[in-house]
Amino acid sequence: MLEIIQNYWLLLLIGEYPHGKLGGLAMTLIISFVSLIVTFPCAVLIALARTGKPGIIQSIANGFVHSVRAIPLLMLIFWAYFAVPMIIGFPIDAAFTLIVAIVIYQTAYLGEIIAAGITGLPKGQREAAAALGLGYVPTMFRIILPQAIFNVIPGIVNQLTTIIKESSLGSIIAVSELSYVMLQVNSNEVTKPLQIFGILAAVYFVLCFALSQATNWLERRISSRRTGQVVVEAVA
Amino acid sequence: MIEFQNVSKWFGALQVLRDVNATVAKGTTTVLCGPSGSGKSTLIRTVNRLEPIQKGKITLAGHDIYAKDIDVNVLRSGIGFVFQQFNLFPHLSVVENVMLPLLRIRKQSRAQARPVAMQMLERVGLADKAHSLPADISGGQSQRVAIARSLILKPEVLVLDEPTSALDPEMVGEVLKLLRELSADGITMMCVTHEMGFAREVADRIWFLRNGTLTFDAEPAEFFSDEAHQDVRNFLSAVRKNR
Ligand SMILES: Nc1ncnc2c1ncn2[C@@H]1O[C@H](COP(=O)(O)OP(=O)(O)O)[C@@H](O)[C@H]1O
Ligand SMILES: [Mg+2]
Repeated sequence: MLEIIQNYWLLLLIGEYPHGKLGGLAMTLIISFVSLIVTFPCAVLIALARTGKPGIIQSIANGFVHSVRAIPLLMLIFWAYFAVPMIIGFPIDAAFTLIVAIVIYQTAYLGEIIAAGITGLPKGQREAAAALGLGYVPTMFRIILPQAIFNVIPGIVNQLTTIIKESSLGSIIAVSELSYVMLQVNSNEVTKPLQIFGILAAVYFVLCFALSQATNWLERRISSRRTGQVVVEAVA
Repeated sequence: MIEFQNVSKWFGALQVLRDVNATVAKGTTTVLCGPSGSGKSTLIRTVNRLEPIQKGKITLAGHDIYAKDIDVNVLRSGIGFVFQQFNLFPHLSVVENVMLPLLRIRKQSRAQARPVAMQMLERVGLADKAHSLPADISGGQSQRVAIARSLILKPEVLVLDEPTSALDPEMVGEVLKLLRELSADGITMMCVTHEMGFAREVADRIWFLRNGTLTFDAEPAEFFSDEAHQDVRNFLSAVRKNR
């Protein structure tokens, strides 16, 4: 076990960089953070559409969320990786493909978390904004969303752990993230799958466990700071 | 100033306002009372169109509030509205709550808005709480901030829905004192309240609602006399018993 770590720790951390492509844990983290950051504004829009006035936009948002929730992420990755290049006529970078698939997928889930944050606010907040004469945009962006998003920060951080785990699916389309790198190590070493995948599991565990501890801590802080406010349980 | 003409409202099949006809004169204070569920909140919420009406007409300073050329947000910004539960924005400090309408509706800069908001906080006696969060001040203070926020755009009309009902008894006084001052300053006020002492002292007229019908509309002297409608006398004795 130690021997493997000694021989491969740099590969595990940053892949073949700087001699080759960046990979390993660094790649996993980059894919995860970029995915979350791109997902966030999309999820806010979906949440606004889902909680807004019934109409064509809401129907589209509903359709999107229901469709995405009914298919596995792996299917989205296959589509993005194999079908999209055929349609547009040129190949796309695998890591980019993975991020796009995760963003589409997570937009549906994170959108639901933010929507729950919006509907969880007391209706007096909207009424007070309306009574002051605020229109829809300032009401949502100055009053409702700041509170709704603040209240679901634990759910958002929790979703980051999901994204980190999901990024391991990149190994299937040869994105050189952590799991892919370890698969390569495994084919070099052949006889040590137990150690190799033990290390892999441990790395994911440490990362995600730390994040879930952070989530718990945030949950406690938020509920103590906003007394009287509904703290929405995230539906991950 | 405000005129209700045959105003009726239904929630689905339930009729909650029945042919309400009444007038609030400019600069006067009207107190609304009546049993729970009689439609008091609904009636005052029709004034700024928080509740739409299905029949009748409401005019504000002579203008039909449902006229095509009325922008509902402009209408609302001209009417101060205070809720039972204060409804302060908990993510904003006290002074930011009061500044918000200046920033987002009057489009003022923070530098312009801040002194105006501070002056208003001074007026309600809370300048020292300007930078507190709503969670860190008392109920009475919260309601005074809510009143300051509702007045910041200098509305001609102030509407209040049971402004002291959510308060601990020892905080009712500070809010009523402020309302007394505002009434004396000549704002047009409509206030739902069960504070009969306040009504007797401050109101120019008292309305009594029952089952969505405005059954009695009188000056306080008549309202509290033995000539008042039987419903009113029953109501008053019930209110006194609950003290
Ligand atoms: N949003 C609503 N939907 C359905 N019924 C409502 C709604 N709001 C109030 N009501 C009903 O309308 C009636 C009048 O309510 P309300 O105006 O709140 O009375 P009050 O303020 O005098 O206690 C009650 O019977 C109440 O249940
Ligand atoms: Mg009421």
